[in-house]
Amino acid sequence: MEIGESSESPEGKKKSKSKTPRKPKDSVLKQKSPAEFFADNKNIAGFDNPGKCLYTTVRELVENALDSAESISKLPIVEITIEEIVRSKFNSMIGLAEHERVDEELYDDFESAKAREKRLAKEARIQEIQAKNANLGKKVKEPVASKAMKGRGETSYYRVTCKDNGKGMPHDDIPNMFGRVLSGTKYGLKQTRGKFGLGAKMALIWSKMSTGLPIEITSSMKGQNYTSFCRLDIDIHRNIPHIHVHEKQDKKERWHGAEIQIVIEGNWTTYRSKILHYMRQMAVITPYAEFLFRFLSDAPDKNVTVKFARRTDIMPPVPLETKYHPSAVDLLLIKRLIAETSKQNLLQFLQHEFVNISKSHAERLIGEMGPDFSHKMLVKSLTSQQIVRIHQLFRQAKFDDPSGDCLSPAGEYNLRLGIIKELHPDMVATYSGSAQVFEGHPFLVEAGVSVGGKDVKQGVNIFRFANRIPLLFEQGADVVTRTALKRINWNSYKINQAQDKIGVFVSIVSTKIPFKGTGKEYIGDDISEIAAAVKTSIQQCCTQLKSKILKRIQAREQQERKRNLSKFVIWLNGAIYDVLKEMSHLHASKRKRYTNEDAEVLNKVSNHIITRETLGEKLAQHVEQVDYEMALEYATQSGVNEEPRENIYIQTLEGESKFVDFQSPVFVFRLFQ
Amino acid sequence: MADKKKRRRPADPDSDSIPFKSRLKPDSVILQALKALAAAESTPSASTNPLTLADLSLSQACREVSDLPLSSVQSTIESLVLSLTHSILSGQGLSFSVPSRSSANQLYVPELDRIVLKDKSSLRPYANVSTVRKTTITARILQLIHQLCLKNIHVTKRDLFYTDVKLFQDQTQSDAVLDDVSCILGCTRSSLNVIAAEKGVVVGRLIFSDNGDLIDCTKMGMGGKAIPPNIDRVGDMQSDALFILLVEKDAAYIRLAEDRFYNRFPCIIITAKGQPDVATRLFLRKLKTELKVPVLALVDSDPYGLKILSVYGCGSKNMSYDSANLTTPDIKWLGIRPSDLDKYNIPEQCRLPMTEQDIKTGKDLLEEDFVKKNPGWVEELNLMVKTKQKAEIQALSSFGFQYLSEVYLPLKLQQEDWL
Repeated sequence: MEIGESSESPEGKKKSKSKTPRKPKDSVLKQKSPAEFFADNKNIAGFDNPGKCLYTTVRELVENALDSAESISKLPIVEITIEEIVRSKFNSMIGLAEHERVDEELYDDFESAKAREKRLAKEARIQEIQAKNANLGKKVKEPVASKAMKGRGETSYYRVTCKDNGKGMPHDDIPNMFGRVLSGTKYGLKQTRGKFGLGAKMALIWSKMSTGLPIEITSSMKGQNYTSFCRLDIDIHRNIPHIHVHEKQDKKERWHGAEIQIVIEGNWTTYRSKILHYMRQMAVITPYAEFLFRFLSDAPDKNVTVKFARRTDIMPPVPLETKYHPSAVDLLLIKRLIAETSKQNLLQFLQHEFVNISKSHAERLIGEMGPDFSHKMLVKSLTSQQIVRIHQLFRQAKFDDPSGDCLSPAGEYNLRLGIIKELHPDMVATYSGSAQVFEGHPFLVEAGVSVGGKDVKQGVNIFRFANRIPLLFEQGADVVTRTALKRINWNSYKINQAQDKIGVFVSIVSTKIPFKGTGKEYIGDDISEIAAAVKTSIQQCCTQLKSKILKRIQAREQQERKRNLSKFVIWLNGAIYDVLKEMSHLHASKRKRYTNEDAEVLNKVSNHIITRETLGEKLAQHVEQVDYEMALEYATQSGVNEEPRENIYIQTLEGESKFVDFQSPVFVFRLFQ
Repeated sequence: MADKKKRRRPADPDSDSIPFKSRLKPDSVILQALKALAAAESTPSASTNPLTLADLSLSQACREVSDLPLSSVQSTIESLVLSLTHSILSGQGLSFSVPSRSSANQLYVPELDRIVLKDKSSLRPYANVSTVRKTTITARILQLIHQLCLKNIHVTKRDLFYTDVKLFQDQTQSDAVLDDVSCILGCTRSSLNVIAAEKGVVVGRLIFSDNGDLIDCTKMGMGGKAIPPNIDRVGDMQSDALFILLVEKDAAYIRLAEDRFYNRFPCIIITAKGQPDVATRLFLRKLKTELKVPVLALVDSDPYGLKILSVYGCGSKNMSYDSANLTTPDIKWLGIRPSDLDKYNIPEQCRLPMTEQDIKTGKDLLEEDFVKKNPGWVEELNLMVKTKQKAEIQALSSFGFQYLSEVYLPLKLQQEDWL
């Protein structure tokens, strides 16, 4: 993993390479620094195009900020600001003079004579039609301002600032934390938000590639009486930080955390909704955090300010670093563990460096390995063959499943709160499964299903979270999407898949999320353990919802029963009375004979004693009686069956405010001014 | 007849190349075989009376409906309405007792070779949210039928639906209740004077009277005569046909009608263009019982062809209460049978692979009693499921459009190749 240390390319070689004339056949052995590799393959870290780069930069900064605050168990407050910088402003920023275009034909958006002719003809035609319409007195539609096709020119420059209230960084570590790819604090086996451990470094590489401007970091830790300020960029070829300024400044306010500012090329117009979705979903899964998102530009109508308020102060525990499960390790990993271990002999090594191996278990394992192995043998003296033997045994032997204790799920409570807070659904159900295992890594699935709500589209809306970060791209192939759309029979839960506004939230946490695809944007559908866990979780939610929905339907039926029953009286008594009337005619004309009781009825009909109305009245009475009986039955059945109460979270007030107290023997009513 | 054909296509150079054509014997030989079949059909049926449900002492009580005259339908409705009126006036609301027509309440009787209804029935009370609509519709349909009885006219199901669209909402609802009403009253649907739109057609050696007009089905042009929906006005059937040819599809029917197949081999050709409607089934039954000629069926070689055959033969699930009047026993499966695909070298490109659904339907059919009682059919169906191939009647057109009428059918008849 720590390729960063080992593969620095020698300077001299680089230079000689660049000077050699181009000989295509001649293949020269080249070496790449990790930074160079990621600069060339930035798409694998989510930096595909300027728009996506802006999005990924925001998310990396936000996730770092959350991790930082959570690591010191502080309720996170994250402020993120994107400031648009138009080209002219950017040029003046870097001291580049504005250039007028001299040779127009050189540019992509140059309009050739032929194209202009075409455009003018089209405009003339449109005007003609409009004039015609105006003459005919038709309402003239405002000509749609033809959208200037800027194409690639749409990208612009953005200053992204992210401020948190986290741990901050030690003054001396700052350059390496940002200026060296693949060096980080998050390596090790535990549930982490980041996908590659690239984070802000990748953003820095992108800024270096697109704007050339350095990153600015301001940081302060608890108990420090100064603020660290650092301006740096990265030497991509050597994978080392290139420091402009690194100084300690006077602390002006009581603050700890970090503020990172970076200028990159991006595209706000195309990725606006993605970024806002990301923030919203982040707010769903972390309701204990407060987010302030701002977009600033020269055009005030384009500005966006969204505040996602905190709704709870219960934070999930910090994920614990755990040891490897024997069935999850590979050969290389065993070697690395051997190199790093402080334990002397094999027995201790097995017992302490892995989970689920007790002392007696380790002894049995060593016995099984063969005569070459003994308890007391030095672990560092193991030969390659012996390590292979250990690896093979790990693969074949049966071990207990790892426990999910090291995981930090969002928690059913938080998930529920998040859904309620951001979607305001009519109904919501959540479920948290127990930890399960896939290839030696524990995972845990939590799910929520909501029905109704504001800003929710009809049909199934899917919200995916992996290790408590939202996944927004490549939804189609994801295990959650497939499960929700194909394997859940919504009808059986009285939910209409096409018309109800269904929200499906699935959060999967694991020490290793089995991502698919280069961008690590989705979890494959081929892992049966995860697919089954996702399905059961969603089904559990649906079952909870079903009882609620049924109750609601029942209650509605209660209210509407009388109306529904009475609605049909007119038809029914009409039908019956018509037949009776025809019969009474037949009876009167003596064409048909009826027996005494029936004859009596028919006589009454012909004498208008029994009319349509009498039949209707009798029916209505019957309906009334049945309705009363059923209402009584319903009331005794359901009883006083209220929903369980939920705690509400009241936000703490900031700062000191003036208030007036109204005293009463029972309570105090405090009015804030 | 053979002369005529030669005249139409003198010195046919292709005649040798058409497969199996050389095997055809002169028509007179084939006619001999058919006459023997027809004779065999007419003799035994005259001696044995058809079995009825009452003749069998079944362990379960079964329900069947019968043709009732209009006056008794009317009086049944009237007594039902009177009892409903008493119930309303005594303040108890009203409810119908409706015989259940679900598949759980159906029974295949092997002795009769058709499906009948068991005697389970359900209550349909007015004062219940789930049944109030249906109860109202039932009452309304009863009233409409009563009117038809008084006026002695026929209407179609569609007419019935349009009398009260607001209540019925869609035609499937009024149609379903109509069947319920038949069961409640214990009469056939045709005795309610409600008919379905005509769908079936007939052509060939048949003369009958429809509502007093004499119809000669050999002089009905290519399209044939539409089968009249009210069977009670059909009568005076006369025919010199040796068999009835039941065709699944319109396309094959048109081919046979245009080639005047019935003149070469005296027969009556009938089709319902897919799933048979009630009128066609009634008509076929009447033909068979009055003329006493065998029925040969020409259907697609796929599970649905066999299903259609089963509807003619032992009734549909939906109309099982009236199976006695609607089914025609002893239909012979002439073609196209799965074994014919190889026997007649039907080219690979004309055979279709069966879908999952087809195979499932085929396997389900193997469990059905009406298939099981005929070992020949079981064998054919097993072959179909095994080869997973199906073919339509039109697959024969790959040898020429007239192959069906000029080679395939004559050869089949010559070989007496029916099951």
